[in-house]
Amino acid sequence: MAPQAQSQRSPSPSQPSGKGEVSDLKMQLRQLAGSRAPGTDDSKRDLFKKVISYMTIGIDVSSVFSEMVMCSATSDIVLKKMCYLYVGNYAKYNPDLALLTINFLQRDCKDEDPMIRGLALRSLGSLRVPNLVEYLVGTLGAGLKDGNSYVRMVAAVGVLKLYHISASTCLDADFPALLKHLLLNDPDAQVVANCLSALQEIWGVEASSSEEAAREKEALISKPIIYYLLNRIKEFSEWAQCTVLELVSKYAPPDSNEIFDIMNLLEDRLQHANGAVVLATIKLFLQLTLSMTDVHQQVYERIKAPLLTLVSSGSPEQSYAVLSHLHLLVMRAPMLFASDYKHLYCQYNEPFYVKKLKLEMLTAVANESNTYEIVTELCEYAANVDIPIARESIRAVGKIALEQYDVNAIVDRLLQFLEMEKDYVTAETLVLVKDLLRKYPQWSHDCIAVIGNISSNNVQEPKAKAALIWMLGEYAQDMQDAPYALEGLIDDWEDETSPEVRLHLLTAVMKCFFRRPPETQKALGSALAAGLTDMHQDVHDRALFYYRLLQHNISVANSVVNPTKQAVSVFADTQSSEIKDRIFDEFNSLSVLYQKPCYMFTDKEHQGSFAFSEELGNLSIGVDDQRVEANDEDLLLSTRKEDSLPQQTQGALVSLDQNEPAAAHAQQTNSVIDDLFGLGLSSSPSSSPSPLLKLNAKAVLDPTTFQQKWRQLPVSTSQEGSISPQGVATMTTPQALVRHMQVHYIHCIASGGQAPNFKLFFFAQKTDEPSNFLVECIVNTSTSKAHIKIKADDESASQAFSALFQSALSKFGMA
Amino acid sequence: MPVSASAIYFLNLRGDVLINRLYRDDVGGNMVDAFRLHIMQTKELGTCPVRQIGGCSFFYMRISNVYIVIVVSSNANVACAFKFVVEAVNLFKSYFGGAFDEDAIRNNFVLIYELLDEIMDFGYPQNLSPEILKLYITQEGVRSPFSSKPTDKPVPNATLQVTGAVGWRREGLVYKKNEVFLDIVESVNLLMSSKGSVLRCDVTGKILMKCFLSGMPDLKLGLNDKIGLEKEAEIKSRPTKSGKTIELDDVTFHQCVNLTRFNSEKTVSFVPPDGEFELMKYRITEGVNLPFRVLPTIKELGRTRMEVNVKVKSVFGAKMFALGVVIKVPVPKQTAKTSVQVTSGRAKYNASMDCLMWKIRKFPGQTESTLSAEVELISTIAEKKSWTRPPIQMEFQVPMFTASGLRVRFLKVWEKSGYNTVEWVRYITKAGAYEIRC
Repeated sequence: MAPQAQSQRSPSPSQPSGKGEVSDLKMQLRQLAGSRAPGTDDSKRDLFKKVISYMTIGIDVSSVFSEMVMCSATSDIVLKKMCYLYVGNYAKYNPDLALLTINFLQRDCKDEDPMIRGLALRSLGSLRVPNLVEYLVGTLGAGLKDGNSYVRMVAAVGVLKLYHISASTCLDADFPALLKHLLLNDPDAQVVANCLSALQEIWGVEASSSEEAAREKEALISKPIIYYLLNRIKEFSEWAQCTVLELVSKYAPPDSNEIFDIMNLLEDRLQHANGAVVLATIKLFLQLTLSMTDVHQQVYERIKAPLLTLVSSGSPEQSYAVLSHLHLLVMRAPMLFASDYKHLYCQYNEPFYVKKLKLEMLTAVANESNTYEIVTELCEYAANVDIPIARESIRAVGKIALEQYDVNAIVDRLLQFLEMEKDYVTAETLVLVKDLLRKYPQWSHDCIAVIGNISSNNVQEPKAKAALIWMLGEYAQDMQDAPYALEGLIDDWEDETSPEVRLHLLTAVMKCFFRRPPETQKALGSALAAGLTDMHQDVHDRALFYYRLLQHNISVANSVVNPTKQAVSVFADTQSSEIKDRIFDEFNSLSVLYQKPCYMFTDKEHQGSFAFSEELGNLSIGVDDQRVEANDEDLLLSTRKEDSLPQQTQGALVSLDQNEPAAAHAQQTNSVIDDLFGLGLSSSPSSSPSPLLKLNAKAVLDPTTFQQKWRQLPVSTSQEGSISPQGVATMTTPQALVRHMQVHYIHCIASGGQAPNFKLFFFAQKTDEPSNFLVECIVNTSTSKAHIKIKADDESASQAFSALFQSALSKFGMA
Repeated sequence: MPVSASAIYFLNLRGDVLINRLYRDDVGGNMVDAFRLHIMQTKELGTCPVRQIGGCSFFYMRISNVYIVIVVSSNANVACAFKFVVEAVNLFKSYFGGAFDEDAIRNNFVLIYELLDEIMDFGYPQNLSPEILKLYITQEGVRSPFSSKPTDKPVPNATLQVTGAVGWRREGLVYKKNEVFLDIVESVNLLMSSKGSVLRCDVTGKILMKCFLSGMPDLKLGLNDKIGLEKEAEIKSRPTKSGKTIELDDVTFHQCVNLTRFNSEKTVSFVPPDGEFELMKYRITEGVNLPFRVLPTIKELGRTRMEVNVKVKSVFGAKMFALGVVIKVPVPKQTAKTSVQVTSGRAKYNASMDCLMWKIRKFPGQTESTLSAEVELISTIAEKKSWTRPPIQMEFQVPMFTASGLRVRFLKVWEKSGYNTVEWVRYITKAGAYEIRC
């Protein structure tokens, strides 16, 4: 395939090539620029095409900017478009050169052909050069009043573009009011739709800072506007209909008659060929009827058929998007879908992501009447060649069993899985059998008989192994060779990589000991010895705990390890109902696919901040991960110290009498703790902070709290600071600055970026009270400037902190 | 926000950028790198078409040998975004005439840039109707070597059309011969258990239409669906004619269909776009006529031998026949040797797909055909796992047959000039996912 692709590619113009070609192009363009000979346009086209294709594959052709602009004087519309595209791509990086293009773009905005007016206006808006906005205002104003709808349509979006380049210019020119006028009066539906999109975005952002904008945002979902849009719904394109329906779903009609009117008007939208329109309508119906339980239920019945059709038509990607929504609804009201379970059966060739959703839904809709069929079907999948699906389906069977339907038959089936003798099937089943036994101890007899026959050698996965060990311990009295199986496992202690398994092994052997002491004594001894020398802190601690417990009082130990247990009735739900409701409110968006509300995945800080968005790519996994990373490092620092602990005690344990290690250990622990403190103090500050504001040297703040606070608090100070030239020189990574600020008791929680742009998040705490300062610091090393945004719990102290921060920043690299 | 895409990328399978269009500045320029690094070069590829990397979400779709990636930074409408991609690809196809692949993109990249400019502005979908776009973006405009005056066409007229009320049809079309072609294409999905009981069965059908009609014609289509017939009987106040009626579970229509009229009168009336389009889609679960029955028996004789017997019966009318029948009978991976006998067609072992591929070019109705095979396996000591049998899969096409029983009762064309039209109707039933467990 690859070589073939290569050969196909060769004749195409987009072969990567060196700099020579670019300068060649430059020459040729220059020759053509002044030429008025016939056929010039054709040669220009070929050259432009080359330029664009280089641009596409990532070769920097910005050096031919002025030549391109010179060649742009043409009446050929295709040439114009290519030129616009080129200019739009590079103007941002060559603001001065972009000024050259203004002339011809403005001229084109006055062309007699509306097509060219529209194109030029669109391109003018796409230049994204802040100092050119003055030229944009006039042309946009004219565009909005243009006699041709195509131009108005482009101008409406142009206003939004302007808003993103310079919000104040856009608002000062009073464009939103103009848009609103068009929204309510323009005869063309696409113009109306574009005005609506633009206004929603503009007022959506402004609403947080301006009361007037908030009022306007509310006014969009007022009755007159909603009715006006609904009455024109059929004029809108399918995409615009989605926008309108989305808006209407925010409208709360005052009485139920109105609700029914709207639903009657829009019911035919459920038959639209565009799935996006159908989904938008479904959202609207669901939202409208939230307060009317009966009707809400009827809506579910009504939307079922269209949803199922959407699922079964279109590409897997499309059906995934729809299935996610169906999944949400099924989870909200499983019983309403109980009779449709056959639609959720998986097809053999469906991709994993589709099958997984279907399995989850099958699990949810299972009830008394359909459990048999569903479980039978799920068992088919368990034998599937696709291992992840096989695993998922076994889990599904288990979940249904936990819901108390037809447990008897299901336990039988689960036990049959164990007889399939496939590692992954056995592993999944063991975990499930364990959960089942926790809920239905009465089934222990049947299960134990089968479990007892499983050789622990065939179980490799930690979770499964842990489950098996748990059962060995819990039902030691019923399983003949439980002590010996455990003993075998303890012999392999050294090779057991998972701490979870080792923990379970310790507990199981304890339980077993109390039930069958003579047989287990030896195993317990070696388990505790192994546990005490274990490298893992938890394992070590538990071993020590058991050891001391046994020393203290055997019967107490027994009651700790083997308390009378009550069967688990409900397993913890993973998601709160509040979160589920949030997701439901965000129906027909990404939230549903990610199964989390949007605030959890859209970092609002990044929206609208245009200048630094370039970094996003460099931050690669983004700020969240960086935060975790930073946090991990801290943790590492502390655990590394602690890890060394068992190593030091190891020698003692082996040689000394069993009574000794505890004391020896205690001593060691103390000294290590001292060490830890010592470490904390070693990085003493080189310059003390101002007397006005004392910061806590060992402030702690976890990343989630930081994020939460960052969202909640208003910006108290926002300003520019400068960095010393020396500092700039050392700043190849953000870590340099991080270390410097730490000395001033300002701690970094996340950082990222690449020269010349870095982004860092800091926090600091007052010494005497838990009052936090949060800082976002964006550093540009090429200009030696830093843009600082400070948020504070205690606003009054933020000035003092800001001064402190700036002085610390300016000393960077000077020390 | 319907889509608000920040960028759209077209990549080939190696991750080279074929086309990229940045609509918004809220994502960085190196989003492709992120996509390549975190999705293409990992096992993630194909596990989920929607992924979040950093603050951005990536929606991607593979169409032939091209990945189309949409990047958004907000909580976007995914269904809308995927639909947009599908529609955009259809649009490109209608421009290049058929194939959409890496070569087509490379050969038409200027055109695609032009189109991307029109169909989406600042991340909001605009006009995607090929009919209208073709008025002012022409492939010839790019291709023709002699077009020194490409603005010859009355463009101002075209722009009026861009946002006109009947957005899908332009005025002033003239054909010498007025013709309409209707294709009813159904695909049957079946999942049958090894014991022969139907676990799941449905038909998804679509009515494709090709119109070559002059002027602004009004069309009305009548089907033998139950609700439509009852409604008609009610209006004309005469009893429903006997005969098979069918119940449609769900119907969706092309935007040209007057949905209000469908809901009140249950008739499908519309002003069609010019050329080819999909008029409606429907789904049926009740009363499906399965065209084929498959009866498999697979016996494992010890570790190294298997006996396979598959009987296929055609249960449609004796005068009809199925074409291109392919039956894939699964065999284990460690198959060493097979000997196959069939009563019609040809069958042989296909090692790459681990199945016996049985092909029958023409399969008459009301007949049956059998395959019997002996399969020898390589005995392996390590593989003590029993073989998990994938289902038998089947492909076929049955012309003039509808699994749902749907029929076109009438297709009426009205145009003010009152010309005569010729209507052509074809039916075909294809296999969707036709799976029989064994």
